[in-house]
Amino acid sequence: MSRAAHPHAMQPHRPGSTRTAPPQMPPQFPSQGRYLSYSLFGATGILYLMAGFVALRAVRALGEGPEAWAALQAQFAHPLYVAFHALSLLAVLFVGVRFFRLFPKAQPAKIGPAKPPPRPVIHAMLYVVWIAVSGGLALVLAGGIF
Amino acid sequence: MTETKKFVVTRFDPDEDETPRQQSYEVPVQPDWKVLDGLNYIKDEIDGTLSHRWSCRMAVCGSCGMMVNGKPTLTCKDRLSNYGDTLEVAPLSNFPVVRDLVIEMDGFMEKFQSVKPWIITAKEKAVEEGTNRQSPEELEHFKQFSMCINCMLCYSACPVVGNEPEFIGPAAIALGHRYNMDSRDEGARERNEVFRGEGTVFSCSYANECSEVCPKNVDPAAAVNQAKINAVLDWATSFVVPRQGQGGK
Amino acid sequence: MAEVIRHDIVIVGGGAAGLRAAISAVEANPGASVALVSKVYPMRSHTVSAEGGAAAVARDDDSLESHGFDTVKGSDFLGDQDVIQYFVEEAPKELTRLEHWGCPWSRNDDGTVATRAFGGMTTKRTWYATDKVGFHMLHSLFQHSMRFENIVRYDEQFVTKLLVEGGAVRGVASLDIREGVVRAILGRAVILATGGAGKIFPFTTNGNIKTGDGMALAYREGVPLKDMEFVQYHPTGLPGTGILITEATRGEGGHVKNKDGERFLVTRDYGVGTKAELGPRDMISRAIVQEIEAGRGLEGPYGQYAHLDLTHLGEEAINKKLPMVRELAKIYADVDPVHEPIPIRPVVHYMMGGVDTDIDGATSLPGLYAAGEVACVSLNGANRLGSNSLTECLVFGARAGKVAVDYSKGASDGNEAACAAQADEEAARLEAARSGGAGGGEKIAGLRGELNDTMESGCGVYREQASMDATVTKVAQLKQRMSDVRIEDKSKVFNTQLIAALELDNMIEVAEALAVSAAHRNESRGAHTRRDATARDDQNYLYHTLCYRDATGARLDKKDVTLGTWVPEERKY
Repeated sequence: MSRAAHPHAMQPHRPGSTRTAPPQMPPQFPSQGRYLSYSLFGATGILYLMAGFVALRAVRALGEGPEAWAALQAQFAHPLYVAFHALSLLAVLFVGVRFFRLFPKAQPAKIGPAKPPPRPVIHAMLYVVWIAVSGGLALVLAGGIF
Repeated sequence: MTETKKFVVTRFDPDEDETPRQQSYEVPVQPDWKVLDGLNYIKDEIDGTLSHRWSCRMAVCGSCGMMVNGKPTLTCKDRLSNYGDTLEVAPLSNFPVVRDLVIEMDGFMEKFQSVKPWIITAKEKAVEEGTNRQSPEELEHFKQFSMCINCMLCYSACPVVGNEPEFIGPAAIALGHRYNMDSRDEGARERNEVFRGEGTVFSCSYANECSEVCPKNVDPAAAVNQAKINAVLDWATSFVVPRQGQGGK
Repeated sequence: MAEVIRHDIVIVGGGAAGLRAAISAVEANPGASVALVSKVYPMRSHTVSAEGGAAAVARDDDSLESHGFDTVKGSDFLGDQDVIQYFVEEAPKELTRLEHWGCPWSRNDDGTVATRAFGGMTTKRTWYATDKVGFHMLHSLFQHSMRFENIVRYDEQFVTKLLVEGGAVRGVASLDIREGVVRAILGRAVILATGGAGKIFPFTTNGNIKTGDGMALAYREGVPLKDMEFVQYHPTGLPGTGILITEATRGEGGHVKNKDGERFLVTRDYGVGTKAELGPRDMISRAIVQEIEAGRGLEGPYGQYAHLDLTHLGEEAINKKLPMVRELAKIYADVDPVHEPIPIRPVVHYMMGGVDTDIDGATSLPGLYAAGEVACVSLNGANRLGSNSLTECLVFGARAGKVAVDYSKGASDGNEAACAAQADEEAARLEAARSGGAGGGEKIAGLRGELNDTMESGCGVYREQASMDATVTKVAQLKQRMSDVRIEDKSKVFNTQLIAALELDNMIEVAEALAVSAAHRNESRGAHTRRDATARDDQNYLYHTLCYRDATGARLDKKDVTLGTWVPEERKY
């Protein structure tokens, strides 16, 4: 059985001439079939929100000096933090892969005279760039460069 | 020896029923039947009071969209052999229900009309001037998006349609986009305003369900997301060059 | 009291002809208010299922005269030559207009509109949109019509009666399918554009809605139906469902074969000469039936059939030019035409006959016009060439729309109260049927099945006197039995069973006119083929059949064929 949709979903601006039964959401929504992927996609927003607060803490610690920073690092070693960061990484990967699948077909057919490369090429290029940028950032953080 | 399948069909008569109810029918079925054949058998032989829309029975008129086992499908195209002993047939989700399997269509017709789905040109071309030239490549740009049969399965599948009444919706956006992409059209500026308006294309949150259920491979998700980019480009260029409106054509 | 709504003109039917008439009316008279009344939303109209293409002279190596002669010859010299002349002149303009309105015609590399070969046409003049021409034309027309505010749509309204008063038509009585109420929609002119009546036959390409409603509406008011005996069997429909496999398959080079793999249209003499698979439809349908009768057909669960072989065209060509055919064959016949031949048999497709009109679309009833398949103008005579009818809808829809709106300027509104009273009577009649019909002894599906069976046996591809007479008698009986039809659905809201009963009423009227007209024509001409009168008889039968309804049943009369440049000759290809 499905849940009710918004009571005015797909309703014409002038009310219909006979009484109608209210619109229902698709029965598999929100957690069955492909809707599960969609709901999780949206839910990753919560992780990003939380990551935002963690980032603010990190910035404050940086401002307070090396001891505060070292204390924060020690906290990050706690299993709950590790789990949170692992989950966030998974979320980013999930969102990236899901979005990359959509990205090629969302490109306009052309901008002025310029046409995009074939869709599989765009798809592959996204991963190349992603890995390259991630690799670059990892090198910077590990102190390998800069 | 004919097989029998059980059809559990949603019924609703606003004069008699407070809310929709379900009714079961035992239907003797042929191996090559589609879901629609089963429904027509019910209407012809078992229960003449069942109301449903259908016409062409060849997946081109768009009348017979319904929910079967919780998924929107074109019942004249969907084989019964795809299903087990029992099928639940219900009216399309996200729509108000008029009667049994018949849904209210005027909301869709309004959204459809709101994107100005016709060729807009500054000057009307005379018949004597002959046809416009359009290369096969230019035709390919919009051809896919012109294949929509208005079956509304995409509206049924889209979670945003069910939650945001003003959202223009997949098929209507795809149709507006089809005209924006047509080399003969000059109305992209007007349509992009509609796309940025109350029923904004930006309500789309990438479910992609519309394209998954489309029986004609129109890929409305591609259209909606291309339309987002075009709508933004159109908005940006309107500051620089006020009279242009072609966006990312 | 029935609600009364007034417009300048009322158009019944929202397919290609109806939409084109509406656009034409408001373009001719921008102030006019046009009601477009249809029992389905316009994009569901059966125009949508046409596949192959629409004909109009487009190439430099073609001529209006050639298109005209092909049409006259295709009609077995029963087509009116003034009508045909006008048609071929207007055809290119109409298809050009449609292109301006966005129709995605398939293109040549240089950007000009592409054309393909079609049956009975001397040269390539069929404009096409892959193999979904009807779909694209209908959607382009419908979407273009939305820009006119004064085309007011009345969707899902079933017209049950023409309102005739003071000797002219004043509007229609229309049942609102959703609400179950009857309204009087008045207009000083009414244009019927409701299509044909293929559903009176068991095997047809036609969809559920093709029940001859407009023909019956006119027939009941004493307007004659013309040339009803001429029913086109499309040679290549799927067995069982009857789904159309377009002539374009043959236009692109497909072969028709019997069970021995023989291309019998080439190896045996069926009158099509070197045109082979591109002969006219009536000849090819007869050929297939004869092959089956000679024992060279294939056996299947839905009867015997022949093969349409596209395997030699290659996957790329099929995907490019015939993608919908490939899809239809896979979904509805479990066959991939790239690898296997498609099972096909002749199925009823089009009615050459219909409401008798002149070249303007005007009928014998002042104020009543008709255009498209519902009308018999007569463009197609005894047999229609493929791809002429979509263009016909545009050319004569446009003309009828303009003429009707001009007529409405000078016409009178008539007695509105009398019209409203007629609508009230209709409402009472329908109310009685709906509320009192549950005890009826006759099932709708049963009567419809019997109608289908008798039309197939008496008025099929090959006919003879005894079976046609039997059909006439049977149809009369069915008409009687309709008074006892069972309507279980008592609801007012969206009562599709009541609609089915009304449609069956209409189908029986049309069947009566068809059977009576067929039984009288003692010759074989075009699609009307008799085993007991195999030759064409220009001496005695070079006329249009008119069928009027009167108190005892049907009454026949004759109407002259407008001849012209082209003199009737033997029809050989």
